[in-house]
Amino acid sequence: MGRKSRDTRRTRVTPAADPAPAVARGDRNRALAAAALGWAVPGGGHLWLARRQKGLVFLLAIPLMFVFGLTFGGRLFPLDSGQPLVLLAAFADLGNGLPYLAARAAGFGEGRVAAVSFEYGNTFIIVSGLLNMLVALDAYDEALGRRQEP
Amino acid sequence: MSSHVLVMMLFAGFVSLIFAVLMKDRPAEQLRLAGRLFAGFVGAALVLGWLLFPFPL
Repeated sequence: MGRKSRDTRRTRVTPAADPAPAVARGDRNRALAAAALGWAVPGGGHLWLARRQKGLVFLLAIPLMFVFGLTFGGRLFPLDSGQPLVLLAAFADLGNGLPYLAARAAGFGEGRVAAVSFEYGNTFIIVSGLLNMLVALDAYDEALGRRQEP
Repeated sequence: MSSHVLVMMLFAGFVSLIFAVLMKDRPAEQLRLAGRLFAGFVGAALVLGWLLFPFPL
């Protein structure tokens, strides 16, 4: 009798509600495209999602910060696995997307170590890359409708 | 640009603007948050700078 009532109780337990509703494949592809576009062109993901004001601010501010970094004599770090800190800085630099690739192709970012603003330049380039990664992730969330103002 | 304070303020301005636009949707709220972040960055840098002043490198 006792066992039976325990079993009955167990079957009555309702499963917990799924906190993350399933995302359709099309929505996920759209979100991935927004994130990829947002990485390649700062603000591009938001512009593609018709978030014009945000997209324009990112499109102006992030490349400008990157250009300031180069102007201050900052270095575009190489992907050198022998130096872990340089490798991390290189990944952060990569976050700048196409501006980073264009600057590297044009031969900018050699780094003027003797310049008083060398470390500032590095900081501007690294932080603009990290901020652009955040912007690309925000475009991903925006495309999925997940974004909530804190 | 060789002024450390101006470069720090430029950096604080960029980071404040981008964070504020990321976190808020309405322009008025974005401006308010950007201003608060900027004041926080610059104020913290000045306070920390003065606190470190007695310690020689």
